[in-house]
Amino acid sequence: MLFLLNYSDFLINGFITTVQVTLIGVGLGMILGILAALGDIYGGKIIKIIVNIYVEFFRGSPLIAQLFLIYFTLPALTGIRLDVITAGYLTLALNSGAYQKGYLKGAMEAVFKDQFLAALSLGLPLRKILMYVVVPQALRIVIPAWSNELASMAKSTTALIVIGVREFLNTGVSIVAQTFKPLETYLFITIVYFIWIYSMLKILDIVYDRVKIPGLEPVI
Amino acid sequence: MNVLECRDLTKIYGKVVAVKNVSLGIGKGQTKVIFGPSGSGKSTLLRCLGLLEKPTSGTIYFNGIDVYTTKQDLNKLRAKIGFVFQEPSLFRHLTALGNVVLGLKHVLGYSEDEARRKAMEALKLVKMEDWANYYPAQLSGGQQQRVGIARAIAMDPEIILFDEPTAALDVELKWEVISVMKDLADRGTTMLVATHELRFAKEVADEMIFMDQGEIIEIGTPEQFFRSPMTERARKFMAKLLG
Ligand SMILES: Nc1ncnc2c1ncn2[C@@H]1O[C@H](COP(=O)(O)OP(=O)(O)OP(=O)(O)O)[C@@H](O)[C@H]1O
Ligand SMILES: [Mg+2]
Repeated sequence: MLFLLNYSDFLINGFITTVQVTLIGVGLGMILGILAALGDIYGGKIIKIIVNIYVEFFRGSPLIAQLFLIYFTLPALTGIRLDVITAGYLTLALNSGAYQKGYLKGAMEAVFKDQFLAALSLGLPLRKILMYVVVPQALRIVIPAWSNELASMAKSTTALIVIGVREFLNTGVSIVAQTFKPLETYLFITIVYFIWIYSMLKILDIVYDRVKIPGLEPVI
Repeated sequence: MNVLECRDLTKIYGKVVAVKNVSLGIGKGQTKVIFGPSGSGKSTLLRCLGLLEKPTSGTIYFNGIDVYTTKQDLNKLRAKIGFVFQEPSLFRHLTALGNVVLGLKHVLGYSEDEARRKAMEALKLVKMEDWANYYPAQLSGGQQQRVGIARAIAMDPEIILFDEPTAALDVELKWEVISVMKDLADRGTTMLVATHELRFAKEVADEMIFMDQGEIIEIGTPEQFFRSPMTERARKFMAKLLG
């Protein structure tokens, strides 16, 4: 496997891209998920319909098709041309947001029933009720579901290869094209993915243990 | 002038008339008890009076000011009306102390230190100061209700509404909550209490209000209700409660 050392910069860049796309995808997805969950719980009829069309569409179609749609079809319709990496971020965020909306809505509803009136009776405005009562509880409840999402998003980033993003797997493909050593290259790539994802999950487990509160277990 | 008052309050959910033309007022320092069968509209009436729900029709006055037609800042008024719920409703991610601190800090604008000091005072009043750092799930139902009471009184409300605060508790746990409520009444707190604890009513209520099917059927002193209620429905219900 030592020949891979010749490509170390290339591999490192690919890996950094993969990490970035994953974290930004899940991070933006979380913001979208929170907004969509809030919209679905508190929004008017029209907002609810929009949220549900968004969620069903992104959960119900293949990620690769979504990538093509955003990279090729969207510019054709709107004239806005996105570079591959932006298209990648956007698609993954939209896709992840659709899934996260589900977990977050469940968690918020679990918090909501008995806690909202109590907070309201203290005179807290809605914004502060969300900030100090609903979201802190919902986030704790949602951490386990969220680590699944992180692991699945980390793997989904490999789909970006279809629009030519130089992510980690794609660097492997290029190296194989030059060296004709698929066995070692892909073994290495897979092991790195595994170690990375495994350690992220472990870290989240530790975070979860630290912020865990008696009586506030996840509802799954 | 009454601290809190409603006139012809009606609340309708779909086809259910939960509260029908109710008028009542609570004066400063008074304790009034509402009682009546399940589904008679006690909780709905209290939620409307606590400004947690808007009545379908009728008027609510806080210190003589018509709350809804004069477009008052509802959150400001809610902070002045304490509410204790039937189900323990402590914030589950906060300790007992944190529960009491939240409103002091984020509604009344106390600093962290001031809020903690004031919160500890309130916890002392309900004899929960030794449990300040426990989470709700680590407390018994009665202890949770006492923290809920501390959370309400810490805000220095002008009136506290209690919605059957002991209904969900085992018999042994009821008395500790009731005794805290008695202390409050003795100290001159203005309160409106939905409860079926007749001993509490007998000892502290200035007035008892009997509701059935959303309406006030009879209002009277505890003596009147215990000796001879005027209406047949109240008589039957009292007989049932007294077993
Ligand atoms: N949010 C709601 N939506 C629809 N109907 C409701 C709602 N809240 C209360 N009701 C109905 O209004 C009526 C009065 O209910 P309420 O809870 O006020 O009675 P209650 O006297 O507090 O009863 P309990 O002693 O069981 O607590 C009932 O028929 C109830 O089903
Ligand atoms: Mg009730």
